[in-house]
Amino acid sequence: MGCGSSRLDRTSGRLNGLNNSENASAHDAKNLRVKLVLLGDSGVGKSCIVLRFVRGQFDPTSKVTVGASFLSQTIALQDSTTVKFEIWDTAGQERYAALAPLYYRGAGVAVIVYDITSPESFTKAQYWVKELQKHGSPDIVMALVGNKADLHEKREVPAQDGIDYAEKNGMFFIETSAKTADNINELFEEIAKRLPRPSQVQPSQPAS
Amino acid sequence: MEANQSVTFYDFLDRMRNPASLDLVRSIKSFIVSFSFYPANPENDGKKVQEFFLTMETAIRDHPLWAGATDEEIDSAMEGLEKYVMTKLFSRTFASLPEDVKFDREISEKICLLQAFLRPEHLDIPVALQNETSWLLAEKELQKINAFKAPREKLLCIINCCKVINNLLLNASMSGNHVPGGADDFLPVIIYVTIKANPPQLHSNLKFIQLYRRQAKLISEAAYYLTNVVSAKSFIVDLNAKSLSIEEIEFEESMQAARLANKATLVENPPTTFNTEVFRTDPGPSKFLDEKETKLKGGSKYPYMDAEAGELTVGDVEKLLSLYKDVVTRYTTLCSKVRHLSISKTDCPATSEGTSSLATELEETCLDANGKKE
Repeated sequence: MGCGSSRLDRTSGRLNGLNNSENASAHDAKNLRVKLVLLGDSGVGKSCIVLRFVRGQFDPTSKVTVGASFLSQTIALQDSTTVKFEIWDTAGQERYAALAPLYYRGAGVAVIVYDITSPESFTKAQYWVKELQKHGSPDIVMALVGNKADLHEKREVPAQDGIDYAEKNGMFFIETSAKTADNINELFEEIAKRLPRPSQVQPSQPAS
Repeated sequence: MEANQSVTFYDFLDRMRNPASLDLVRSIKSFIVSFSFYPANPENDGKKVQEFFLTMETAIRDHPLWAGATDEEIDSAMEGLEKYVMTKLFSRTFASLPEDVKFDREISEKICLLQAFLRPEHLDIPVALQNETSWLLAEKELQKINAFKAPREKLLCIINCCKVINNLLLNASMSGNHVPGGADDFLPVIIYVTIKANPPQLHSNLKFIQLYRRQAKLISEAAYYLTNVVSAKSFIVDLNAKSLSIEEIEFEESMQAARLANKATLVENPPTTFNTEVFRTDPGPSKFLDEKETKLKGGSKYPYMDAEAGELTVGDVEKLLSLYKDVVTRYTTLCSKVRHLSISKTDCPATSEGTSSLATELEETCLDANGKKE
């Protein structure tokens, strides 16, 4: 998986001009491109999750550092479709909260992250869910992520609270650890599966 | 991005000179002319231009001159077209409404006030990211924005600025003394850099890119960076004491002090619309003036700042002389005021620091203007 990602990047980066930037996800049914916005308090590890996801493809011990707030990563699914995630990080500090709509506008996916050791960050995550329900695009795929799952002994938000809240709001829920890489790939694979497909995948099976 | 962009632009013009492309040239010309029939209406104009780009893309794809062309070749033809059309329509589409001009001025004035006292700590920028050299580079990129008329090139200034900041974040995280914070780090720095740069006509430039850059190109990383500068603008517009890590009283006092200091340089002649006029009709060569203006509050008062000796006429002498006298008088007054200030510094430690650094800046500003005036 992911070996052909640079080639895929190029094909999906070249657009046919028919989609406008408002389109949450694009192109042919086999190669999706989707804008994913990350929301959550600062310090919950939003960018670490992405780093882990993007870096996971390389040698995890190497010092390849991607410090960027915008990253893209293509994953291949079992049905031979690929999904290119264009990941938009947002600043989590309270003083920038009012700017969030500029970022989630047109996003096909919102990943809302909290820290399982911080109840305040869970409250903040719920605020973002409500905000997106009100102002996000109606068919946005939302995921609630409890990060820092490796810190069991400091846990203050029970997993059940996350599960219940996500279920009530029709979201996907997962607990991750950017530190140990636990559930990071699962998170993105699950999101990829939940994306609305522009049209039916052709029945013909090309050799991969 | 592409270094050979000017080559591809000439290639585009070349192809347009080919008799075979007469039909394309006709469509382009009549589209451009159609704009002179109606008053400016940015939203509508943007839509019209975008639709035109799409129509032309199809036309070019199907055109014999581009038979068998790759997607890259079509794309560079489209870049050429965008540049050509938007350069022709520039004065009609850039900062075309009085309210945009006004908004530009208000933002620029607010930034000018903020510049007088804002420090990285007010935005909680970690020390590891405080790098004057990188910031200056990033500022320079933003300040170049009015040197270009094509949306693509204006956007490139923004992208370049953001890339400089990205490199800074990257280096900070590689040096190991800073945990990468993604957007938590990036946004405060881009806001700070935008304030330091005070890019000319910020609002109009952003609006112009959003409306007229080919939509197929306003995606992905480019869109992300543009969004960050749009965010920075929006943050600055709404900025008050609560937006910063600063005491409300200190904020209000600093803003007031900056206002007074600005007034001091603006007393006699009220600000004219000279700058805006110049930018609107011809932002290209006025780059020098733009850069000047960011440092030089009230640059509008000195209309000869970007004049060449050859352009001056005898009729200008009177005006020049009076400006010269004006500058000298101000400078002398200011110097004596500054001396007073540094004396009073010891009496009033609470506020004097801010004021005196302001005064120094003013002094430099005047020196600068004076030097340029001869």
